[in-house]
Amino acid sequence: MSFFGFGQTADIEIVFDDADKRKVAEVKTDDGKKEKLLLYYDGETVSGKVNVTLRKPGSKLEHQGIKVELIGQIELFYDRGNHHEFISLVKELARPGDLLQHTSYPFEFANVEKPYEVYTGSNVRLRYFLRATIVRRLTDITKEVDIAVHTLCSYPDVLNSIKMEVGIEDCLHIEFEYNKSKYHLKDVIVGKIYFLLVRIKIKHMEISIIKRETTGSGPNTFTENETVAKYEIMDGAPVRGESIPIRVFLAGYDLTPTMRDINNKFSVRYYLNLVLMDTEDRRYFKQQEVILWRKSDKSRLPLHPHHPQTVSYQGHQSLRKQSVSSDDNSARATPSNPDPENVMQRSVSPSMPEKQNGPLQMEREKPEAFIDKLAGAHINENDTNDTSDEIEEPKPVEKLPVVDKPLIAEKPQIAEKPTLNRPEPAGSPNQ
Amino acid sequence: MKVLAQMTNQVSPVEEQEKLLEEALNIVKVQAFQMKRCLDKSKLMDALKHASTMLGELRTSLLSPKSYYELYMAITDELRHLELYLLEEFQKGRKVADLYELVQYAGNIVPRLYLLITVGLVYIKTNTNLRRDLLKDLVEMCRGVQHPLRGLFLRNYLLQCTRNVLPDTHEAPNENEGTVRDAVDFVLMNFAEMNKLWVRMQHQGHSRDKERRERERSELRILVGTNLVRLSQLESVTVEDYRRMVLPGILEQVVSCRDAIAQEYLMECIIQVFPDEFHLANLQPFLKSCAELQPGVNIKNIIIALIERLASYSQRNEGNMNLSVVLEDGQEQEVQLFEVFSDQVAAITQSRVDMPQEDMLSLQLALLKLAQRCHPDKLNYVDRVLAHTDKICTDIHQSSGQSTLEHHTPVFKELMKIIKLPCDHYKNILVLIKLSNYAPLIRHLSYQGRVMIAVHLINDVLETNTAISTPQDVEAVLGLLDVLVKDQPDQPPSESDVEDFVEEQGLLARLIHHFKSDSADQQYLITSTARKILQGGGARRIQHTFPPLVFHAYRLAFVYKDLKDQDEMWEKKCQKIFQFCHQTITMLVKAELAELPLRLYLQGALAISEIGFANHETIAYEFLSQAFSLYEDEISDSKAQLAAITLIIATFEQINCFGAENAEPMRTQCALAASKLLKKPDQSRAVALCSHLFWKGTRDGRPVWALNDASRALDCLKKAARVAQQCMDGGVQAQLLAELLGRYALLRERGNQSLTPSLIDAIIQKIREELANLDQSEEVEQITKHFHNTLQHLKNRIESPDPESLGYEGLTLS
Repeated sequence: MSFFGFGQTADIEIVFDDADKRKVAEVKTDDGKKEKLLLYYDGETVSGKVNVTLRKPGSKLEHQGIKVELIGQIELFYDRGNHHEFISLVKELARPGDLLQHTSYPFEFANVEKPYEVYTGSNVRLRYFLRATIVRRLTDITKEVDIAVHTLCSYPDVLNSIKMEVGIEDCLHIEFEYNKSKYHLKDVIVGKIYFLLVRIKIKHMEISIIKRETTGSGPNTFTENETVAKYEIMDGAPVRGESIPIRVFLAGYDLTPTMRDINNKFSVRYYLNLVLMDTEDRRYFKQQEVILWRKSDKSRLPLHPHHPQTVSYQGHQSLRKQSVSSDDNSARATPSNPDPENVMQRSVSPSMPEKQNGPLQMEREKPEAFIDKLAGAHINENDTNDTSDEIEEPKPVEKLPVVDKPLIAEKPQIAEKPTLNRPEPAGSPNQ
Repeated sequence: MKVLAQMTNQVSPVEEQEKLLEEALNIVKVQAFQMKRCLDKSKLMDALKHASTMLGELRTSLLSPKSYYELYMAITDELRHLELYLLEEFQKGRKVADLYELVQYAGNIVPRLYLLITVGLVYIKTNTNLRRDLLKDLVEMCRGVQHPLRGLFLRNYLLQCTRNVLPDTHEAPNENEGTVRDAVDFVLMNFAEMNKLWVRMQHQGHSRDKERRERERSELRILVGTNLVRLSQLESVTVEDYRRMVLPGILEQVVSCRDAIAQEYLMECIIQVFPDEFHLANLQPFLKSCAELQPGVNIKNIIIALIERLASYSQRNEGNMNLSVVLEDGQEQEVQLFEVFSDQVAAITQSRVDMPQEDMLSLQLALLKLAQRCHPDKLNYVDRVLAHTDKICTDIHQSSGQSTLEHHTPVFKELMKIIKLPCDHYKNILVLIKLSNYAPLIRHLSYQGRVMIAVHLINDVLETNTAISTPQDVEAVLGLLDVLVKDQPDQPPSESDVEDFVEEQGLLARLIHHFKSDSADQQYLITSTARKILQGGGARRIQHTFPPLVFHAYRLAFVYKDLKDQDEMWEKKCQKIFQFCHQTITMLVKAELAELPLRLYLQGALAISEIGFANHETIAYEFLSQAFSLYEDEISDSKAQLAAITLIIATFEQINCFGAENAEPMRTQCALAASKLLKKPDQSRAVALCSHLFWKGTRDGRPVWALNDASRALDCLKKAARVAQQCMDGGVQAQLLAELLGRYALLRERGNQSLTPSLIDAIIQKIREELANLDQSEEVEQITKHFHNTLQHLKNRIESPDPESLGYEGLTLS
């Protein structure tokens, strides 16, 4: 009716209770922009008012009923038409009738279960929104408002560390340790790399955080990898016996909690990828999944430089002892179960230099601009030289004489996986 | 692009370096400018970004250490602005939350760590409670840079930044501020890491670049050494702290890095930067570590440096040093500096089998210096060093199969220094001979070396005018000079350098004059001891060495004469002395020498006659007759004959002790010998001289000689005139006659009346005649002058006669 310029029409506005007090969270929309949305947690009541404003005061608006819905849905981008709603709550606000004046309908979805966190990835989006609808005969008048949902988690303070000895036979043996296997989003990764054997000329070493988004299932599985952060932790070639500290602050990066098998539609997992590059630009890496979780802000301890978090750097001796004593932990932390990713990496293809232009992996958007400025400053320029990506999956080494029993009995894996870890020309190298 | 740069780098390294550096510096300039602008506008985050970009230049691998240093200096200079800005803000209370965390988001490690250090420093300066933990964190995080050059400079930056904020107290008011212990740990850790990086440089790249790498390393060594300087600047570190925390940490790193260049430099560094007291208290651990250093380390330099340092210290403190060591049972024991070094040096030389032999000797040299400087009273220390040196030399011989050290080899030079050192130090050969190992040491030198040392020693004695006054000393001194005293097995066979030899023997002869004692008896013993030793030297040597001995003996005889009132035995002793002389001279005769013994005999005869002890006439006669028989038997050259007979006649003339019995044969023989001379002029002169055998004047209060025989004196002169006239050459004739005229005048003035004025006149006429016949020449002129001078003398005498002698009555000179 409004198309023809006559007939009554109305604007709908959804106003949340406590909107001015409620926290907001930035959420990416599907066009890549960021939006500030009111933030709700699982079990919280979503309440407010739906205000209907008539365009032409005085004339009536006929409707078949007014309702408000709270919807949680997963959108797969390759399947635009099909939205999978995992929550759909409806409140009737008015029975069919005529609306003569501006009306305000309070609503309340009490203690709504919101099992998942909002997420916008490359192939999938999980969103919550409220939809108010004035049902009419021909076209409904609707209004949708997104809300943000964060899922909080808590883990015991004492968490297993990840400790593993990996290497390529007679070439490179390292032992690395991350202080935890589960990190909250404002956490700091502390660890160290201990070099047991170095027969290659290492140029530098970095840790990257890889986000792996898997959507679909069965033959229609799509996997998208994104390097969220790239962090150089060592410059130059170490020798046997060196131990290199790791300390990565996570707060500055654009991370989400790990999501596993969300409603059977998608997963988002995070991996720490330890990459060593030699002087001939061959890359040696080891990926290790870490669980990211969101910690409640209230209990979050402020991170101060007063307490630099370092693992105790002891000599090799004590390190060895430690690893022996924490065998159980290490074994548990070790993915001796073949991950799907690992299976993929195992597929051996001839190692040959190959050029590929993929999406810019290093593109990052960060909440704080300055972090971006610092972090993004140079690291890419090294990668312009990456013509050959001989990717090897370091394997847990054979038993070293010092260790009482073999840490893990995994077969050596050497695999090339050109699509992964493909650094791209980014930024302008200093030439 | 990088590859290209590297290639061109090889083409023209210098220019390429300059270009690269300039480019980098330009970027630094731009970024620094931007950074400061942002700071002015209080845009800290943007400033940090520019700082980070600027620091990114330090990631380069293309610059040489030198250029990298320049870049580093330029950048750290700019970082000061950032630091000052932050410091000011913080002090104003405008703290930037989590800045320490924020800078760690820098993706690249090198810029990140420079920023972290800069920010960390600001934190420490504004809140000392963070000091301990932050220092620990910073030094730990720097491990991330394993590239040697970049790592060294990064850690140097850390060290520079923290230099004024290291905790330097034993008791911190607040434990978070840290104590000196934390400071030591911090620097030691940084030191160990830097050293590792520095050592690693050696093993990177092609072996063909070894030289360049070593040069570059030596350019960078100061960066590593600065750590030690920093440690030494911690004022609250006590000797005890140094012993427990500092030194073991350093030494462990130095020893375990197993890199010769590092070890050598760092050990010297330790010696240079820490106080003497610290070294003294820790000699043993230090020296023990020295023994564990790499074979390539020039350990000698290290130890020598330490020794010299402590020796000077000891000297400054006049040897008052409290030096104690902790024994294995935990007890402290006072020890001598020398003892410690001596033991450790011995251990080191033993453990380091590959040590060059000259280095072992250099170490001994250093020890020797130490002993001399620190323990001037302990000669046995010096001797111990010499004994050790002796052993080393013996080993050297064993390994080389030679019995002496070759000239101009390094070992030779070192040994030479060792031998010269005590000599120059004590300036007294009497001290040297107390060192029982000194003489044996000399024997290790080659012939030439021994000669050099001997000459050196003698010159010293001559310079210092040292008297060697006991037979034992003489024996010892001559022992040192063995090479000059007698033939050596390794002497060069040919008498290639006679001049040198003569000079050396001349020196030895001069030395013999210093064999003197105030006691006459002692002097005798000295002289006879000396002869006993010197007689082994053979004819070539004794002709130089015996004359001084003989003169010593003659002088001694005069001494006894002076002592005759005190010493009843003086006459006996004189006899013995002359016996000794006789033997000595006889040895020279046996060595087929003639002129020298002849003169010595004559000299002896003179002395004997003068001293006039019992039986002296016989002995004088013996001496004189020995001289005469030498003349007869051994001297054949006519000139020498003339000279010899002249001497004999003169000696006889001087001697007054002979009675007729001894005088008669002597003068007859002389006259006979004179007349038998081959050449007429010689004959004439000798015969003329013989006149003195028969007539002695009464000069100097001498009584009239009982054996004067005026006519025989005249006969001599007449014969001389006759012989002169037999000469064919008029000039010679004139000359001889002119001389004869003088002789006439002389004897007449001495009271011989037989030489009448008429005889004199006849001679004068004869001379005039001869001169008239001669053509003018220089020679003739001289003769004429001589003649006229004599005439003038006569004229004077005629005009003013000497009342005590005969005049020339009746002589007219026209």
